[in-house]
Amino acid sequence: MLCRVVGLACFFLSVLGACSKEPTKAGLAGDGSAAAETKALRIAVIPKGTTHEFWKAVHAGAVKASRELKVAVTYKGPLKEDDLKQQIDLVQNFTAQKVDGIVLAPLNDKALRGPVKGAKRSGIPVVVIDSALQGEDHQSFVATDNRKAGALAGERMAKLLGEKGGIIVLRYQEGSASTANREKGFIDAIGKHEGVEILSSNRYGGATTESAFKAAESLLAAQGGPDKVAGVFCPNESTTFGMLLALRKTGAAGKIKFVGFDASQKLIDGLKQKHIDALVVQDPFNMGYLGVKTMVQHLRGQSVKKLIDTGAKLVDPTNMDSPAMKQLLAPDLKRWLGE
Amino acid sequence: MRAFIERLLSRPWFGPLGALLAVYLLFAGLRPDTFAHAGNLEMMARQTVVVAICAVGMTLIMIKGGIDLSVGSVVALTTVVVARGLQAGLSPWTAAALGVAAAASCGALNGILVAGLRITPFIVTLGTMSIMRGVAKGLAGEQKIDANAAGLDEWMAILPPEYGFLVVSPGVWLALGLSALAAGALVYTRYGRHIVAIGSNERAARLCGVPVARVTVMTYALAGVLAGMAGVMEFGTLTVGDPTDSLGLELEVIAAVVIGGGSLSGGQGSIAGSLLGALLMTVIKTGCTHVGVPNWVQEILTGVIIVVAVALDRWRQQPRQSSSAH
Repeated sequence: MLCRVVGLACFFLSVLGACSKEPTKAGLAGDGSAAAETKALRIAVIPKGTTHEFWKAVHAGAVKASRELKVAVTYKGPLKEDDLKQQIDLVQNFTAQKVDGIVLAPLNDKALRGPVKGAKRSGIPVVVIDSALQGEDHQSFVATDNRKAGALAGERMAKLLGEKGGIIVLRYQEGSASTANREKGFIDAIGKHEGVEILSSNRYGGATTESAFKAAESLLAAQGGPDKVAGVFCPNESTTFGMLLALRKTGAAGKIKFVGFDASQKLIDGLKQKHIDALVVQDPFNMGYLGVKTMVQHLRGQSVKKLIDTGAKLVDPTNMDSPAMKQLLAPDLKRWLGE
Repeated sequence: MRAFIERLLSRPWFGPLGALLAVYLLFAGLRPDTFAHAGNLEMMARQTVVVAICAVGMTLIMIKGGIDLSVGSVVALTTVVVARGLQAGLSPWTAAALGVAAAASCGALNGILVAGLRITPFIVTLGTMSIMRGVAKGLAGEQKIDANAAGLDEWMAILPPEYGFLVVSPGVWLALGLSALAAGALVYTRYGRHIVAIGSNERAARLCGVPVARVTVMTYALAGVLAGMAGVMEFGTLTVGDPTDSLGLELEVIAAVVIGGGSLSGGQGSIAGSLLGALLMTVIKTGCTHVGVPNWVQEILTGVIIVVAVALDRWRQQPRQSSSAH
């Protein structure tokens, strides 16, 4: 009987022994050079999820920063995409581990406040990336300046229309701060161009492509289609794609000037077919890079800005094949993540 | 001495305890500076609270020969009800009570459907899992609900220094207290013996005059109350009402019970074992984060450990059963 129990224990140890070999290979994103430094800073990067392209680009950017600055980066997201509880647990976990700093993309602007405060109390600074967090417990906020990005789209729209015509804005969803800022930036920029008139800006596309498609279709019909509408703007991926489908279905694609937001393969194809005139894209690679870099600067005693803009760019059919845009649309993940 | 060891080995919680110690020592050996730290132990206890409280209810249900797949949805629903209550200006205690009441009615509904319609609990709770998730999303207007946590978060927070005498957060004490109550009820009350009887052989229990339908409804309702309390603790952690919270929690809870010696065919299981099972999974999760194992490896590892733990436990019990038959 006893020897069976001992056997049981041994079995567990051997099963877990396999896991102890992992970290050197896959756990530390900083490679040998980072580990060689005796007191390399350990920085945890916590995304909202791990399987989306966007977060892979963030990861790649973080790895680039870790190699340049000779720090060790541990990248770990919730096991399930977008799981708030698991993200809270992770922040607490890394706090208990006493890492040197945490770079966090909070899933909720309020729920993560407590864990971030806890980290600060334990002397671990936090840099927030991508989405805002309430409170003053984090060192810096590194994200796309959505107001600016929206204004970028607005200026381009005015140019595309030759300073005159009626446009519609299909909003994303009530209560989404980032897209509301893009919409505001766009509408403010349009306000400076007297010839351009906003026909409608109070319709919401909702969370899915499906709901956005329906909203876009009825909105286009209500506003009189391509005869009356000269341009449309959408503030995120799902509304842009829903609008693209609606334009195609009503035969208005290519006739109405269309500025959208975010890039996916389908939207890039729309750009190629000239159904979309321009897309505003964020720079997740730079977000991961600057997130880690800002943290390291703070840890090494330099002062950091409270708000850092990672920049947004306009992609259109003329520049979509340039190397700089290629890097933005499809960062070289292989080089940084070894995938 | 030998008799003492034999008795110890025959305890249902002995296997999970051994596994827990082995896994803990492994991680403590790999990361002695951070993993074995007191703060980390306290944190692991806190992160186990929700699964542990749910596992207490699930143990009762599984001993009775049932199962409850709706527990994750009920926890999410509770966080939404509590958040809505706080938003409406209720006191934290009233809001929490409202949340527990909502969860209890979900549990009672499960019990009534199982006992009344004579449908297998797997199917009934598969249905209510979806129903409760839908209700939670509808009640929350398909978004997370902000509410002032009004002290409910203290249940799951790191203890402030002036309450250091508590050693661990109140939520951990709540989980331990509820477990002790349930374990006592299981052994010392007529109700406890009834559910074991039903789980071992429902027909025989019925013939012996055990009120099967009443015990069934009561068990699911009780599990509902426990899920509600877990939901209040979950709200304390999240500080928002989240209708998409705890997706897949039911599987984690069932795994905890099964690791702790519970059986899907009923009649077996212990509260202590389930608690150890829940703790084992937290230790694996935390340990993998400390060692830096990527998520996909961690998922595989968790699955392997569940299967191996249960297989070893069955293997350990085999000779005892055959020798007692002699």
